Amino acid sequence: MDKPTPDKAGEFFDQFLDDYYAECDEHLVSIRRSLVTLEDEVDAGAVDRTLLDNLFRSFHTLKGISGMVGLSAAEQLAHHLESYLRGLREGTVILSETGFEALAAGVSILENVINARRQDQAIPPIDDIIERLQAVSSTQPLASPSLPKQETPEKVSVTTRWRAEFTPTAELAARGVNVNSVRARLQEIGELLQAKPIVKSAGEIAFHFVVSTDAGESVLKSFEADGLNFEVLRNETIEKAKASQTVSTIGPTIAPASVVRVDLDRLDELMRIIGDLVISRTRLEDQVNDLKCATPPAVWRPLQETSLSIGQQLKRLRESVMRVRMVQLGEIFERMTFVVRDLARESGKKIIVQLSGGETEIDKFLVERIMDPLMHLVRNAVSHGLETVAEREAKGKRSEGLLSLTAATAGEKIIIKIADDGRGIDRDLVLERARARATARGLSHGASAIDDNALLDLICSPGFSTRDEADRASGRGVGMDVVKRAIEDLGGFVTLSTKMCEGTTFTIELPLTLAIAEALIVSVNGQRFAVPQSAVREVLEVESASTKVLENNEIISYRGRVLPLLRLARVFDMDHQRGPTFHVLVLGEESNAVGLAVDRILCQREIVVRAIKDPLAQTRGIAGATELGDQRVVLILDISALREFALKSRH
Amino acid sequence: MPDENKMNNILVVDDSPTMRRMVITSLGTLRRVKSTQAGTGLEAIERLAIEPIDLMVLDLNMPDMHGMEVIDFVRSHHAYRDIPIVVLTTKGEELSRSEAIAAGANRYLTKPFDPRQLADVVGSLLKAS
Amino acid sequence: MEPFILFELAGTTYGVRSRSVQQIEMIDDVASVPNAHPAVEGVALVRGQVIPALNLRTRFGFDKIERSLRSRLVVINTGSRVVGMIVDTAREFIKISPESIEPPPEALTGLSGKYLEGVATIGERPVLILNLDAVLDLEYELEAAVEQS
Repeated sequence: MDKPTPDKAGEFFDQFLDDYYAECDEHLVSIRRSLVTLEDEVDAGAVDRTLLDNLFRSFHTLKGISGMVGLSAAEQLAHHLESYLRGLREGTVILSETGFEALAAGVSILENVINARRQDQAIPPIDDIIERLQAVSSTQPLASPSLPKQETPEKVSVTTRWRAEFTPTAELAARGVNVNSVRARLQEIGELLQAKPIVKSAGEIAFHFVVSTDAGESVLKSFEADGLNFEVLRNETIEKAKASQTVSTIGPTIAPASVVRVDLDRLDELMRIIGDLVISRTRLEDQVNDLKCATPPAVWRPLQETSLSIGQQLKRLRESVMRVRMVQLGEIFERMTFVVRDLARESGKKIIVQLSGGETEIDKFLVERIMDPLMHLVRNAVSHGLETVAEREAKGKRSEGLLSLTAATAGEKIIIKIADDGRGIDRDLVLERARARATARGLSHGASAIDDNALLDLICSPGFSTRDEADRASGRGVGMDVVKRAIEDLGGFVTLSTKMCEGTTFTIELPLTLAIAEALIVSVNGQRFAVPQSAVREVLEVESASTKVLENNEIISYRGRVLPLLRLARVFDMDHQRGPTFHVLVLGEESNAVGLAVDRILCQREIVVRAIKDPLAQTRGIAGATELGDQRVVLILDISALREFALKSRH
Repeated sequence: MPDENKMNNILVVDDSPTMRRMVITSLGTLRRVKSTQAGTGLEAIERLAIEPIDLMVLDLNMPDMHGMEVIDFVRSHHAYRDIPIVVLTTKGEELSRSEAIAAGANRYLTKPFDPRQLADVVGSLLKAS
Repeated sequence: MEPFILFELAGTTYGVRSRSVQQIEMIDDVASVPNAHPAVEGVALVRGQVIPALNLRTRFGFDKIERSLRSRLVVINTGSRVVGMIVDTAREFIKISPESIEPPPEALTGLSGKYLEGVATIGERPVLILNLDAVLDLEYELEAAVEQS
């Protein structure tokens, strides 16, 4: 799924196609609804102004966004529909039977055009309908323009007009009280006649709403906690307000936006609460089970069923919230390509960017935090890794440097690679500088040859830079030490592979941070561990006598193959007594499968995954910790590290 | 820019959420830039009142307050009159470029827009202010 | 005058700056971490965070004792790290003026001396002020050993 650097705006905006279709659907639904009402007003003379305004705006927006995604047929058609609406609105055109039919036909063709693009089919022709729309748009002008219906005066006599003043503040906004919510609440209690911003004497911004309502003062009082003040408008004041209505009149309820941006902190809070709920639910289940013997079945069973269904509902709730948190990596990859292009232009280098795996989904929490380290590695690759055209040609390389960004998920991990085919990291130079720094600090540094891991450690030590003056591209005050630290803080790690003249690859592994996971709780030597269930393919019960030893490996036969066993007790160096039977968790696929041997599988639980952040307690094979309902801490196994261990020990 | 570490807060005003996302993503290439968004003119003015805004990218044809009215309001308020405003409006808008500029817009771009051009325009206005 | 928290370990009184102490807990449950440093007894859950529990007796080379009702987990927060230290008991809170902290005597450097910032005398009783960076850095010992050789 390699994708070249987008060089046209149209391709850049392809990433928004899903949003585009979603928004088109919304407008088309609202347009169809308006058309039903509009049909009744054919030849009626005056048409509801707000209806026309809403239709006009929908076509206008469809025109704008269709242009952005390069769907010019929809853009043109929406433009002509908009023009017809403008004619109606301005009173230069009468809403005739023919006009309405052209409008309705235009809408259905517009819908077909958008759907054709969505399904990659041929775009239907639009020339005929555009001609029809042009014809109806040039009808004889109407004597008087249509008027907004809401200004019909009879409502004044039966209700009171109030003027509400609302002063927005950050505190109110944080509580969800803002100009939109206030407006919506006022629309619930009456008819909103006006809404406009004002500047108070101290320069403070506020909003004035004029609302006509039969609600009593007690109702209005309830608004005061949210920063609203009311004042009765006398009749003459109304006239004044009308005269000064330079801002605008308000239509009926404006269609609520379907996309809500949620502050990540609020989502985190939500996840935390769900995490607590999961733990409480686990405790509840234990307590319900404890009651089983002491309670008549007729009482106990409904209790247990309720507990189980709460469990199911919590699971769905958690999954929904998790989905909200997931975003595609593609967006930040695209951002990187822009940065690379800028840097390439500045440095006179030629660079091809290859992206793959942009559709990989990653927790939004991670995206925000991985952005800077990734950006830094990309900048480093461009400014230090990749050579100039002349340098590359002198080395017999292709004149364009290659920078590839790839992302993929592997089990519970997400793997991001940043690779360049540039000059590679100069080990000798790094060592030399490391020695110089060590000498300066009165230490000795005796190493003479270093592998990639040691090299990475050196360049990631605080303050280390392979250039005396960090240039603009790699500067930004962030060193490799910060990059490494940032990734490790996220529970991930970086590895390096580099070869002189051939290039450098940084590989970042991150947890998917599924904060809650299904896990099997197992016991080994009396200690409990949690195993993420997503890693477990099958569970076997094995008789101790049936294992064989093959070249220092303990094996069992499994589905006609040999399955090497990895004894957790051995990995963790535990003093272990083997029982007559034990349980094996089959990890990995087919030929790479490994059997993780534990004493017993105790139960299946939902666990809240917590990272172990301090290096004192970090150990290979442990991914984190969790608490079970009984308040006891249980370590979570790092399955991919354990599999790695098993594969290594086989050699 | 006097303060090297300052994040510039850009207010993106458009009634189309898709369009706002497009604009925000296009601005993502700029350094030290964050964004906040508003779907209506009133909301835009509310944002001004409650958080510091360094630049506005403003659509013209919106419900409840036309973009030109937003410009008028911003330009008449002593605290906000210097905020750079980039008008980003759909081609064929009845208002001409010169009218928007006369009302106080700093730059006038039409949709469909080129993401690079928008980022360049915003970047240079931020640098200049 | 700076507030310190005092705790007992093998009959000696130690002090740490109160601002480095996040909280003091009864020791609930510590899950042992395989292959960890011998002084790391395991991990404990404190305010939803999983932190290492460092047995200070083992760390300083004293004999390990059974945990009792008096045992405490002194949770250190250095800003970048949160680590719990298992001590025999902890309960006192005292103010010490910086002038009354003297450098550790030579004779002490053999044992826990290298983890000390200084010694303060409160009344008749000496209080050993810990250098937390050194205590929490398990590689410190190795580096120090290498430097001496």
